[in-house]
Amino acid sequence: MKRRIFGTAGVILLLLFFNTGIKAESLNLTGYVRNYTGMLLEGGNDFSILQNTFNLNLEHSKGKIAFKVNPYIYDYQNKDLEIGLRQAYIDIFFKSMDIRIGKQQIIWGKADGVFITDVISPKDLREFLLPEFDEIRMGITAVKVDYYIGDSTLELVWVPVFSPTIMPEADSIWNPGFDLPLQPEFDYSRKKVEESLKNSEMFFKYSTTSSAIDLEFMAGYMWDDDPTLHTVKNIDPVTMQPESITIIPEHHRLALAGGSFSTTLGGYVIRGEGAYYFGKYFLSEDPMIEEAVVEKDYLQYLIGVDFTLLDIKMSAQFIQQYILDYDDPIVNDRVENMMTFLATKDFLRETLFLELFSYIGLNDGDALIRGKVKYKFSDELEILLGANIFTGTEGMFGRYNKNDMVYAKVKYSF
Amino acid sequence: MKRLHIMVLSLILLPAIAINGAELTGLQIVDNVYNRDTGKDSKGNLTMSLINSQGNERVRTIKQFIKDFGKVEKKIMFFMSPADVRNTSFVNWSYTEEGKDDDQWIYLPALKKVKRISSSSKSDYFMGSDFTYDDLGDRQPEADIHKLIREEKFNGEQCYVVESVPKDEEYMYSRTVTWIIKDKWIGLKKEFYDEDEDLLKILSVKKFENIKGLWIILQSEMVNVQKKHTTKMQLSEVKINSGIPDRQFTERMMKRGL
Repeated sequence: MKRRIFGTAGVILLLLFFNTGIKAESLNLTGYVRNYTGMLLEGGNDFSILQNTFNLNLEHSKGKIAFKVNPYIYDYQNKDLEIGLRQAYIDIFFKSMDIRIGKQQIIWGKADGVFITDVISPKDLREFLLPEFDEIRMGITAVKVDYYIGDSTLELVWVPVFSPTIMPEADSIWNPGFDLPLQPEFDYSRKKVEESLKNSEMFFKYSTTSSAIDLEFMAGYMWDDDPTLHTVKNIDPVTMQPESITIIPEHHRLALAGGSFSTTLGGYVIRGEGAYYFGKYFLSEDPMIEEAVVEKDYLQYLIGVDFTLLDIKMSAQFIQQYILDYDDPIVNDRVENMMTFLATKDFLRETLFLELFSYIGLNDGDALIRGKVKYKFSDELEILLGANIFTGTEGMFGRYNKNDMVYAKVKYSF
Repeated sequence: MKRLHIMVLSLILLPAIAINGAELTGLQIVDNVYNRDTGKDSKGNLTMSLINSQGNERVRTIKQFIKDFGKVEKKIMFFMSPADVRNTSFVNWSYTEEGKDDDQWIYLPALKKVKRISSSSKSDYFMGSDFTYDDLGDRQPEADIHKLIREEKFNGEQCYVVESVPKDEEYMYSRTVTWIIKDKWIGLKKEFYDEDEDLLKILSVKKFENIKGLWIILQSEMVNVQKKHTTKMQLSEVKINSGIPDRQFTERMMKRGL
């Protein structure tokens, strides 16, 4: 697949540079080269990541037509070169309408670092939530139509082929693993969503901007990007203990409706976002439930505030997830609360940047604390030193408490 | 809108001045600078050079569009360089209504979404330069007490010299002194004094031109004499009253870029 993409990218590049249709000087070419080295703080100080990246943005526009291609290469020690296209799309502009066709990243909502109505582009979670946001969000092949009425926009997105979340590999330190008495077997026979018209995804959004408030209303008919892990246990009738466990990953249809807002109040920006998911699957420990999964409606919402205090830009968000018609054997809590905090400040005429960001799980008392120092030696060259600290022993972040790490990123932009 | 306000103000004030032959007050002079007609709309390329005490230079280029919508003036800026900020765009809605804060949005290409941000503190420095947002012309004349201290010839132009003391004692400058060209209402030079009354910065206008009957500043330089840091601003490819469409200032264009 990736080889095929590489081939396509190669052809496009060749066309761009050698075809007389587009002059090289009319192309806008930007990108970066980056080294990213991360080291675990525990154990033998293993390297958690050794990655070299080449990222290119090729853009061209002529009148009412434009295109963008964003090829990237990840080079890892002792692994195959990973080559792909993050985006590759064509824009067609009309007087009151734009159409974008091709592989694209589509980001909705007002939340930072949390995915509520932002459900179109699937996530690459191979390194959990640690990569840059434009690297976590994968491009998807879609047709996006925007129709504009003044400061309002109607947006329709059709995704013909479903793309799931990319999960960490089995031997990755970011693989959350399973809390089961036996090593499970896997049955992937139901995991694939066939590439057909009836399996495509549709999304709709109305957004408007005004002095008083920015609003978005959205709806989607999609597949759950994360597979539900249907679980079959063969129980020994004598000991009543499981003899074997089979996990059957399966993606389910999901409908959701939601919205978001953003407004200012004095020197504060107040943001909110929420979505109601109609029929999401959850794991259950009820032995009478077939395949240990139940379907429930689910609500997720956020309220956030951005402000400046002592020249430090700060942001706080409170996120709540709520399972409706809850049954006690459901593995997830009925209500799950989380907060995020962000503080940033720049020094030396925007050449030195400090940032502290943290996710805090309120149910399990766990957290991910991320500190960063970035210095720009020039407009092209920067170095970033950071630390990711996981606290707690349970929950979304506590489960990675052995993965505390420090890292460095050296990046040259052009 | 502010231009219309000036025009109305001019109709009222100028005959009165002519009749009475009275000298303008410091506030009237600064009002005339603040409200100088710069057209219904304008666009141009802004090049900002940041030069430190070692002579090292960093260059930022921006394409900007400004349009007067009556009660609101809208501005959109597209950051062209350096490479790591390319395709970032910024929109500001500035209101004539007294006390109403600006509305601001930023589009960050890495996040791929438009974020509403709180109106920048007027004392914040713009993109690491020596200019604060106030220095770039957003400071309301009513925020200071202005006094005409003398008239003199400066760089071949007859100028009013006006001292302005902020009403807010916590403000970053204790006072400023501005040389304002009499018949053009352009501040040709401005000295900024810090909280200890020491000279902090000097702004010098290096080039201005009459474009379509309007005086437009094309080159200026701000020197921080304490930190020995300089910012040069140059406006090029300026177009005045070219009929920029309203849709240029929407979220659509922020995302689309240039």
